[in-house]
Amino acid sequence: MPKRKLVPLPSAAFQILLALAGEDLHGYGIMRHAAEQTDGRMRLGPGTLYSSIRTLLDAKLIEETEPREDARLGHERRRYYRLTSTGRKLARSEAERLADLLRVARSRKILRGEYV
Amino acid sequence: MSEKIYAWLLRLYPSRFREAYGEEALQLFRDRCRDERGFLPRLRLWLDLLGDLTLSLPREYFRLEPRLTSYAAHLRPEGGPSLLVLEQESLGPGAWFFGGVLALAAVVSFSVLLNHGVRHVPLSALIRPGRRSSDQRPPSPSPRPPEPAGDSQLPASTPTDGEQPEMVAPGNAPSAFAGAELSRAERQRVVDGAAANLKKHYIDPAVAQKMAAVLLEHEKKGDDDAVTDGRAFADLLTRQIREVRPDRHLEVLFSEVPLPRRPPAPNAGFIARYRKAIEQANCTFEPVKILPHNIGYLKLNSFPEPSLCRQTATAAMASLNDADAIVFDLRDNRGGYPSMVTLIAAYLFDHPEYMYNPRQDTTEDSWTHSPVPGSRLADKPVYLLTSARTFSGAEQFSYDLKMLKRATLVGETTGGATDVGVFHRIDEHFGIGIRESRAINPYAEPDWAGIGVKPDVKVKAGDALGAAVNLAETKLEKK
Repeated sequence: MPKRKLVPLPSAAFQILLALAGEDLHGYGIMRHAAEQTDGRMRLGPGTLYSSIRTLLDAKLIEETEPREDARLGHERRRYYRLTSTGRKLARSEAERLADLLRVARSRKILRGEYV
Repeated sequence: MSEKIYAWLLRLYPSRFREAYGEEALQLFRDRCRDERGFLPRLRLWLDLLGDLTLSLPREYFRLEPRLTSYAAHLRPEGGPSLLVLEQESLGPGAWFFGGVLALAAVVSFSVLLNHGVRHVPLSALIRPGRRSSDQRPPSPSPRPPEPAGDSQLPASTPTDGEQPEMVAPGNAPSAFAGAELSRAERQRVVDGAAANLKKHYIDPAVAQKMAAVLLEHEKKGDDDAVTDGRAFADLLTRQIREVRPDRHLEVLFSEVPLPRRPPAPNAGFIARYRKAIEQANCTFEPVKILPHNIGYLKLNSFPEPSLCRQTATAAMASLNDADAIVFDLRDNRGGYPSMVTLIAAYLFDHPEYMYNPRQDTTEDSWTHSPVPGSRLADKPVYLLTSARTFSGAEQFSYDLKMLKRATLVGETTGGATDVGVFHRIDEHFGIGIRESRAINPYAEPDWAGIGVKPDVKVKAGDALGAAVNLAETKLEKK
């Protein structure tokens, strides 16, 4: 049993899953995507990032692909990560859970509908 | 430079993390450094890194060893030997909290118990319930308890030992229980009380006046103000009193254990138990032995009450009567009744001899009833075996026979048991011991109080018998 629990899904892990939903990414790429997704609010540091990546790998929510270079960032070979189908399902269910929360928030007039 | 710093910070992570992701983490750092230039972005980068470090470091250390569990999981499906691996399931926050609270509670309750709960139980009683605490600290002063105990002590093995009514012995309070700080008012009260007691009880009124004046003067000048510890304060007052006259039988005493208003009187039960125990122990006389060269050997482990033990003493001395030399073994003798000291010493003289005892006024009983009819011991060489555990009455026996040049002391310097005379309570924690006897030491050498009696032949207690026997043999051969 992995030590770190993914229920409920920590927000860092969710952001990583979301970042990987579009394309396979290396660590820095995931960090950049997560920052963009959150308007710069979430800047994953290396410790948190790789710790989360390891947890997600252990839970088979993501997997590692062949290392390769990223032409935009020089000639270093980088480890890339890909979302697994389980990961995708989990991300979806998490998104649905959040959407449910949003509906509740809207019904309680905490949020107005047009923003979402 | 920045990269080196971050590489160094990365070393804080567990090796498993560094092996797996150390290079990636550094790479990510380099990427960010490259993209985030300028003072503010760089500052933000470092703040991010430090925040990340504080959050992720503990998480990494509490992580499960995945290799162990996967190993076990891997083995099982093959049907081979199944290894059960202890899962290092880390503790949840609740468990940490509970453990922390429990540890805190244990530490707090321990210190509270140490300070309050055990306060009224002498530490020595917890360790060795069968021994009086004065046994652990022989040189500490013990005020003379009421009759008939005198300064007698039962042999350690007697059954009544632990049940003896506990006399208040201020010197016996374990120092670990050093109490609360003294207030100015309490110091004043103790000084006044000590001065009043000196004037009332000390044998020399003129000196007592002077001692009281010195105490009050020191207090007035503020010499005592720096002392807040009870024991240190008692010692300071003792030194001030002894400035006037260095009387070692005069001492201010401190007791952590509150002193009762009246010392408990020994009850009939105690006396009956003492009687029974002393009879069972053959009055602490060990059987007389006649060693080669006709040297008589008597091991005497106390000087018991003569009204109970006169017969035993007489019988023992009678069996020594034909010996050519006598060895008294006092190495385990913790003292006893001065009257028994005089009774035994009587056999060693052919005329009445004064047995000086600093604790008692000189009376008719201070002289031996010598010669003892039928005794042939008056001119036989006498050797006393002493040790650092030779106390009190046994020290009187040793001191007097040494001063009278009637015995050769072989062994160690004796314990130096101090008797501060009669104890007067000043308040709950302080008292003063004042010697009220007017016995004058006829010898130039001070008595044993606090310093012990020095042997004539200094050897280890364990070698004393052999040394004494050699001396006796040499002496007998010369005859």
